[in-house]
Amino acid sequence: MSMKKAATLALGILTSVGGFFDVGAIATSAQAGAIFRYQLLWALALGTILVVFLVEMSGRFAAVTRQALPDAIRQQFGFTSWLVPFVVLTLIHFLTLGAEIGGICFALHLLTGLPVSLWALPVAALVWLFLWRSTFSAIENSTSLLGLITLAFVVAAWRYHPPMGQVLAGMLPTLPHHEPARYGYIAVGLLGAIISPYLFYFYSSGAVEDEWDESYVAVNRGVAVIGMGFGSIISVAAIVVAAMVLAPRGIQVDDYHQAALMLTQVFPFWGFALFAVSMGIACVGAAVELSLAMAYTSAQTFGWNWGENLDPREDARFCLTYTGAILAAALLILFGVDPLKLTLFSMAINALVLPFVALPFLLLMNDRKLLGKHANGWISNAITILTLVVAIVLAVVSIPLMFLGG
Amino acid sequence: MKKKLPDELELARDLLDKQVVDRDETKMGRVDGLVLELREGKPPRVDHLEMGSAVLARCIHPRVESWVDALRRRIGVQKTGRYRVPWAAVQEIVPYQVKLDVKAAETPAFAWEHWLRDHVIAHIPRGLKGKAN
Repeated sequence: MSMKKAATLALGILTSVGGFFDVGAIATSAQAGAIFRYQLLWALALGTILVVFLVEMSGRFAAVTRQALPDAIRQQFGFTSWLVPFVVLTLIHFLTLGAEIGGICFALHLLTGLPVSLWALPVAALVWLFLWRSTFSAIENSTSLLGLITLAFVVAAWRYHPPMGQVLAGMLPTLPHHEPARYGYIAVGLLGAIISPYLFYFYSSGAVEDEWDESYVAVNRGVAVIGMGFGSIISVAAIVVAAMVLAPRGIQVDDYHQAALMLTQVFPFWGFALFAVSMGIACVGAAVELSLAMAYTSAQTFGWNWGENLDPREDARFCLTYTGAILAAALLILFGVDPLKLTLFSMAINALVLPFVALPFLLLMNDRKLLGKHANGWISNAITILTLVVAIVLAVVSIPLMFLGG
Repeated sequence: MKKKLPDELELARDLLDKQVVDRDETKMGRVDGLVLELREGKPPRVDHLEMGSAVLARCIHPRVESWVDALRRRIGVQKTGRYRVPWAAVQEIVPYQVKLDVKAAETPAFAWEHWLRDHVIAHIPRGLKGKAN
């Protein structure tokens, strides 16, 4: 395998650090472990399987057709069918971007003691500057490298010697012993935090940025499995650590301060800082991914010139989309919106639109005129149909559960 | 230059909503509308492609189109919300894009792009990427 193809793993890790293990996954994993110990690991396992397949499909589609998903969706389904999902997704991406910026600010608050809202504008400026000045490959490589720090959760989980029997038993769904509504709410939250639409739009646009062609189909499969597997292992570790540290003390994670105690037993001196830095970097990855996903989606919907490798003078509308999005999302935090509430809210409405995100996969990936011999086989289709079913269930139960269990 | 066009074209499937690029492959918009010419005793013929915000607004509702037009007149960046591309300018149609024999920078499709470049981007210190020019 050539070096260039081996380096595509960076896209997988970045997608994973930003899209899988982000502020939503940290919040819900901590809650899941703290309240239900290992019992909700199945939701994470299910989410991982679905996301691995969906990411693989996004990459395969981009490699074969040279089109990212939003581009193909507008072309295949037309402007009027795409308009409403596009507007709703833009709104969700905006709120989630606010939550991720809030996560970075919260991490800095843990490290410095300065108020969260004070960090909003400096953080926005830094994220923006990163996108404004860097090429796509520089963003991929630096974020995925920094993202490796989140492995601290895996180290901590290992050191705690969790009861492996219970961990494995948690991989299969069981009925809760207590608080069924809360159990349902957190299960939905975990799935909603993992199956994020922006992940697929970002990853497929990234594949176009990296100029993939049909020869990347096999590499893409590995990148999807390893990249999403990375995020999944970190999230499993976060649940395990929360179950070992928070659950025995009856800490239920009503705000991020409580989650921050997770690493302090294994790393007594550094644990607090390590949690803050891991959270900060995961959220930087997600903020980068979300702001680019918003710019990619708008540019492709309207046909503007786009690309992170272009001079901003050549794609003014693309650059100003992420500029405006970052600035406006930072204002939410500046004006004191609570990052954890924003996270939980944006995940719940994310669940509402998932069917509209899953359906195009089923239609596009079976179009042999577009994909030829690379169209979906029966396994991918079975998983896509399963995703669609899960998405519809999530959409139906998310709002009632938000009131009952949130 | 020799044109590369398929023998048969399904208008809604192969043309409408497709990415449009100029002769240097700069992305300049999408095929937002198609206008046919009806000819007596002969089959209709594609006369021109339409691009622009007003064309999209009409897809939603004619009233939205008139709002968009009023807004455009007030802001005054674009002279027109409808960029008409004669069929003769279509140079190539491939599965993922339509190539026109024009220069994007010289068309109304780039009015906003240029306005934002000159009034906003130009005032922000340059990044490291792209060509130095």
